Amino acid sequence: MPEESVYDSLQKEGVSRRDFLKLCGVMAGAMGMTSMPPLEKSGLPSSLDVTEAKSVERIAKAMETQPRLPVIWLEFQDCTGCSESLTRANAPTLGNLVLNTLTIEHHEALSAAAGFQVEEAKQQAMEKYAGQYILVVEGSIPTGEHAAYCTVGGRTAEMILEEAAAGAAAIIAIGNCAAFGGLPKAKPNPTNAASVLDLVKDKAVVNLPGCPPIPEAIVGVITHFALFGVLPELDKLNRPMAFYGKTVHDRCLRRPFYEAGKFALTFDDEGAREGWCLFKLGCKGPTTYNACASIRWDSGLSFPVQSNHPCLGCSEPDFWDGPGFYQGLSAPINRPNATAVGAAAAAGVVAGVAAGAANKAKKKQANEKEE
Amino acid sequence: MTTQDAMNTFVKDTGGWVASQLEACTRCGICADACHFYTATGNPEYAPVWKVELLRRAYEQQFTFSGKIKLALGIDKKITDADLNHWSDLNYQACTVCNKCSIACPMGIDLGSLLAGVRSGLAAGGFVPEDLAKAVQLQLDEGSPLGMTDEVWEDRLEWVEDDWEVDIPIDVEGADTLVIFSSIEVMKFPTNIAAIAQILNAAGENWTVSSTAREVVNFGFYEGSEEHTKQFLKTLLDGAKELGVKRIVVTECGHAYDALRWHAAHMLPEANNFEITHITGVLGELVGAGRLNLKPGFYDELDAGTITFHDACKIQRKGGHIKEPREILNLLAPESFKEMTPNQEQAICCGGGGGVIAIKDADPIRFKSFELKIDQVNKVGAKTVAMSCSNCRLQYVDGVGHFDLDWKVTGLSQMVADALIEEE
Amino acid sequence: MMQNPTFIRGPFFQAALLIFVAGMLYRLVRVLMLGWSKDNIPPMGSKATGVTQSYLKGLLIWPFIPWVKNTFSKNPVIYLAGGLFHLSLFTIVFFGAPHMLVFKSLLGFGWATIPLPIVDWMATAGIVAMIALLIHRLTNPVLKLISGLPEWLNWLFVFLPMITGYLMTHHLFLPYEKIFGLHVLSVSVLLIWIPFSRISHFMFYFFSRTIHGQEFGKRGVKP
Repeated sequence: MPEESVYDSLQKEGVSRRDFLKLCGVMAGAMGMTSMPPLEKSGLPSSLDVTEAKSVERIAKAMETQPRLPVIWLEFQDCTGCSESLTRANAPTLGNLVLNTLTIEHHEALSAAAGFQVEEAKQQAMEKYAGQYILVVEGSIPTGEHAAYCTVGGRTAEMILEEAAAGAAAIIAIGNCAAFGGLPKAKPNPTNAASVLDLVKDKAVVNLPGCPPIPEAIVGVITHFALFGVLPELDKLNRPMAFYGKTVHDRCLRRPFYEAGKFALTFDDEGAREGWCLFKLGCKGPTTYNACASIRWDSGLSFPVQSNHPCLGCSEPDFWDGPGFYQGLSAPINRPNATAVGAAAAAGVVAGVAAGAANKAKKKQANEKEE
Repeated sequence: MTTQDAMNTFVKDTGGWVASQLEACTRCGICADACHFYTATGNPEYAPVWKVELLRRAYEQQFTFSGKIKLALGIDKKITDADLNHWSDLNYQACTVCNKCSIACPMGIDLGSLLAGVRSGLAAGGFVPEDLAKAVQLQLDEGSPLGMTDEVWEDRLEWVEDDWEVDIPIDVEGADTLVIFSSIEVMKFPTNIAAIAQILNAAGENWTVSSTAREVVNFGFYEGSEEHTKQFLKTLLDGAKELGVKRIVVTECGHAYDALRWHAAHMLPEANNFEITHITGVLGELVGAGRLNLKPGFYDELDAGTITFHDACKIQRKGGHIKEPREILNLLAPESFKEMTPNQEQAICCGGGGGVIAIKDADPIRFKSFELKIDQVNKVGAKTVAMSCSNCRLQYVDGVGHFDLDWKVTGLSQMVADALIEEE
Repeated sequence: MMQNPTFIRGPFFQAALLIFVAGMLYRLVRVLMLGWSKDNIPPMGSKATGVTQSYLKGLLIWPFIPWVKNTFSKNPVIYLAGGLFHLSLFTIVFFGAPHMLVFKSLLGFGWATIPLPIVDWMATAGIVAMIALLIHRLTNPVLKLISGLPEWLNWLFVFLPMITGYLMTHHLFLPYEKIFGLHVLSVSVLLIWIPFSRISHFMFYFFSRTIHGQEFGKRGVKP
């Protein structure tokens, strides 16, 4: 019996053809129109080679033919916020699609079972779908002599990741912690935390940074791989271009105020009430690549800047270690304290006095010589 | 007399005042356009910034860390005899220390003082042009670089008194004002002496000349030697002290006024016991107070063409007597007096000051530079050029002869004296 | 290092700032300690008036109205370029929003800034002026004579922050963060270079302008 396709399982759930096509449309948007993979890569029949305008059709065709994708979801040094984010994906159907339909074979937080049972189930899934499953990693991984800071079932996160990565078709590092080390890696990085990419060198890794990442981005990337069998186009930090191709600043609804030089200076001044630019309150939007300003959160309801809070830059590496959330993005990361400035000033004065004294002696000598 | 001595003087004389200005220079080169020698010849070495280069190098090499690094890296070389000879040519032959560059400098660097500083070092090292050194020696030996010995001085004064029928009080103790003429006037423009005597007598001034303090010209100042400058100034101050005067008036001589008015007290504090002023200031004062019976519009009536006034760098720009000549000329020639452009503080130097006229080798560029003045005067269409500096006047007379011009060159005092209404 | 501007924006920039502070003070103290003699010449005019006029001329007339002085009429473009460059530099450094935020983070207080389009025009003008000044330096015989390695480096080290800043705001050639790193790097290099070069004229400007005013003021002539 051929494996059940996504469409098959949706039909079982009572989803009509009309609703199915609607879902395909939502997904086309979620994956980003520009990230359609070339057909030869995705292994789909060439009859599907359609223009971008027909991408919905292409997704529908893929969903009708591609087998379901097993997903193994691991959590390490995390807060489960990324999983929480996924459960709040735009269209409930879309979240369901990933959570239920695409077969999440293993997810500790969502699993009904616990303890050895769950570990057992994971091992079975990994064996059954070896080389086929998507490995999703949430949270950073403590390494080296600090590896013991995160263990599951008596084994370190490092070991678990190594084992799970070996059989994965692709890895998705979800959230800033998994993608770049996140909060655990912030100075002074007490657990010697590392990102997935720091540890896994021989697999395709997609980073979906954010604290948390936008749920549509999570769904979009997983379904993209599920349907086309290849990863979407990535930027230099392995982030999908479809979601991380533009800065928050580029798409920000307050951008005109930036250009006009109208800024909120405190959180309760006229500028803040008028919805002016938050750049001077430390907004990191101009250097933050994410889709917050376009897709927004909670079904497109809002995003931080719209809700009058500057962007923290949570989809960028080391965003915790910047100049400060409420310091301008241009502000120096290390600010010399009064002691350092005082010491430098004192050093300058002392050097100046020393040179001055030597010069004075030289002048005195010159005067004596003249007489 | 070696490079070592020059460097020694640079070290000795470079204080914060000089250093801060050397540090302020951005090497923008704008001062070049202010220099009449550069403008006239287009030789980039005549840019004031380049003339000061020697002092800057000496300062950096001796006093600064970056200067020492530059030496170590070979970006800069130690200052040699050849350098000093070269900069001697640049500074004595192609600079009149007119200080116009200081006005052009966007940083406001007082380049004139720095250029004088370069001369000090060159003088200490013995890198003074031969002609200038000879003149200094003459002043040391005979009391005057123009050969105005005791006898010559007495003869000339007697002759002026006789010829112009004017009284010149000599060595009057207790006089208010001591007037000190320059040997240029005594030897070449005796009319100036007669004119000044007539004016002071007409105004009823209690004045005198001194037989010891009789040469206001100071070739040590041209040369840049503090020792010589001081020695020549001391002769003057001693003479003034002997006669017990209150005021010293420098006649139509620029650098002498600069030395006595603006530098003497730094070397000889007793200079501050006297009020030191220039004859232009005195003329302004007398005319302003109505103490001279002048004929207004005298020169308009003569109908001898347009009159213009040449601003001397040491008397006008560096001396401060800018208004007085204008007041006088607007009274005596309200119609025919016309200003050259640029004028006053912005005026272009005659090209002969700062001792340049005394150096034979500088003649070609001195005349080249004078072409700028010819252009200026011709533009205003003047037939008479008045000025209050005999050194400028010497340069003008020389230039008029060299270029065969038909201008009348005259002194301001003489113009005032000629316009006096004789009281019978 | 370029992969991670954090180092440049952090310790490197901080070190550059401290070197700048130490270097400028060193230079100032060294000059001050060369000694100052008292001026005991009785003045003819007011030094205070002269100093006031000197600054007014230096700040207002000189850079922007070249034709008022005969001396400047020969090459007004270069005087305008010099003035425009300084105007552009000061406006952007102190009144560009990102720059103000740097000062704010260092000093603890901020001030009003100028809208981006104006800053952008200023930057364009400044860059054009810098290029004009470079061409002038390359072709003018006096400037060729007085320009050595330090002068060329001065130009380069001032130009780099300007051009990287411009490329950054216009998102040209490199990703924003990379150019941002380059921008901060070039600013740091400039900060380190200033105390050892003639760019420190902004400190000694106040000496020379004051001296100029005093010298002309005490003689009662216009500086």
